[in-house]
Amino acid sequence: MERIPFDIDKEMQIIGEFKSMLPRAPGLPKLNTPITPKENYKLLFEGKRPLWMPSAFDSITLIPRIIPDNIARGFVIDADPLDLKDAGGKDFFGIEWVYVEKVGGSMVQPGNPKVPDITRWEEYIEFPDLDQYDWEGSAARHREFLSPDRMTILWVMNGLFERLISFMDFENAALAIVDDDEKDSVHRLFDALCDFYDKLFEKYMTYYDADIILFHDDWGSQRAPFFSLSTCREMLVPYLSRLVESCHKRGMYLDFHCCGKNEILVPAMIEAGVDAWTPQEMNDRHMIIEKYGDKLNIGVRMVIPMEATEDEVVDIVESFVKEYGGYGNVIGGAFAFGGNQTVIRDTLYSLTRQAYNV
Amino acid sequence: MSKIEAIALAVEEGKSKIIAGLVEEALSEGISAGEILNNGMIKAMGVVGEKFKNNEIFVPEMLIAARAMKKGVEVLQPHLSASGVEPLGKVIIGTVVGDLHDIGKNLVAMMIEGAGFEVTDLGVDVPPEKFVEAIKDNPDVKIVALSSLLTTTMPALKETIDAIEKAGLREGIKIMVGGAPVSQEHADSIGADGYAPDAASAADLAKSLAI
Repeated sequence: MERIPFDIDKEMQIIGEFKSMLPRAPGLPKLNTPITPKENYKLLFEGKRPLWMPSAFDSITLIPRIIPDNIARGFVIDADPLDLKDAGGKDFFGIEWVYVEKVGGSMVQPGNPKVPDITRWEEYIEFPDLDQYDWEGSAARHREFLSPDRMTILWVMNGLFERLISFMDFENAALAIVDDDEKDSVHRLFDALCDFYDKLFEKYMTYYDADIILFHDDWGSQRAPFFSLSTCREMLVPYLSRLVESCHKRGMYLDFHCCGKNEILVPAMIEAGVDAWTPQEMNDRHMIIEKYGDKLNIGVRMVIPMEATEDEVVDIVESFVKEYGGYGNVIGGAFAFGGNQTVIRDTLYSLTRQAYNV
Repeated sequence: MSKIEAIALAVEEGKSKIIAGLVEEALSEGISAGEILNNGMIKAMGVVGEKFKNNEIFVPEMLIAARAMKKGVEVLQPHLSASGVEPLGKVIIGTVVGDLHDIGKNLVAMMIEGAGFEVTDLGVDVPPEKFVEAIKDNPDVKIVALSSLLTTTMPALKETIDAIEKAGLREGIKIMVGGAPVSQEHADSIGADGYAPDAASAADLAKSLAI
């Protein structure tokens, strides 16, 4: 795309507001950007150089409470917020999750898996009928928050391997993906899950105009992946690839949420065609960006402490841009526990608007 | 390839369908149960552990090897008992109170068992008094292994150690700790005898503590 000189006075003008869905959180002033944040974000996904670093501030995340998984996991960002005392409970497939308040997340109580024998999973698992949910009601509740000018991100919790773990417990799931007697059944399950997610993506596009599916599937622990690259290629890539295709055929993108030290699995993500991945801090992010950045967009998050002053926020963003602003293919995010969101966004915008304009 | 080597390879490669037959053949050839266990299966699990530490293999391969070993031990067990081969010692393991995570703890239990210990797994969310009770029930226990995956449950590691101490059971027992947020420094600060960063290292640590 043609480079447009940065006109700071013009572009930092406030021309409106992006509404926040978080309770009591102020909206984000809308800047007079030369193209919309969504258009800019899309440049990155289309392999072009954006005008500034796309970031979490250029999108709205919707984790609707209409989805049982979201309440079960205790992750809901909805116009009708979730009281965390109601978090936990049954997910899409009737798996019971326990919300652990001091952790801020849920887990399946281990030891009593719903699917004791993967070769007979059809006897234990019933796929939900997505048409039974009040999509129209949920969409109406959120319409005022969604904007054609910024990306709308919808979450999908539990993914493929995570879903298998929720059905079988971890050890059984890990065994099933390498055991010759079980692998066919796992393929059959993942195939069915792809069909299910395809229908879910359709709902997300129809009712929320979703641009990005943030698809969760944790593949590793803090020290290593759970499985080898070859196992990943055999058991997961074909299905993740189908999910990417499910997004792309609808004009959406798949941002892969995959916790763990998963550097060696990046080739699998690329082969599946995912549009972005945000590696956790234990991964060598510079190595990943330098080695794979031409094939995969990488998200990096700033950590902004709760008590950070405005000057400290600016310092953190400046350091972040100094470290990652030169690549041109990074998506900025923020563990914004604190700090003024507008200051973070404005600093990130103005600094990377300048840095990218070369 | 010798029979012992074949058994070791079957464990390493997780061939649980053939291991029982190989063990039976070895026994019928007059190889002692102790040799099959120590030079075949436990040695093989040591190799598996090393490969796991070096990221040459991953959790599924480790699990499948452990499953094969378990199948082999099932055949071997009566012969071990008959010939007086004893485990390296008893280990009590559990995830501390408030923490429901079991993956790391289970992998550690499996590798410690693979190293030749008898393991009693108390499960997850285990209060200090339950550890104390289990030690009283097993006075010959050599090692107590405590797992915590959460920073919020790390204090329960110390609380458990304190409870064991307070009950007058600390002497003669080694306590090892582990879990994502745990470090050697933390282990030292709470009075644990050892820390291991992964399941294979935990098995090595258990062996060194049991001496």
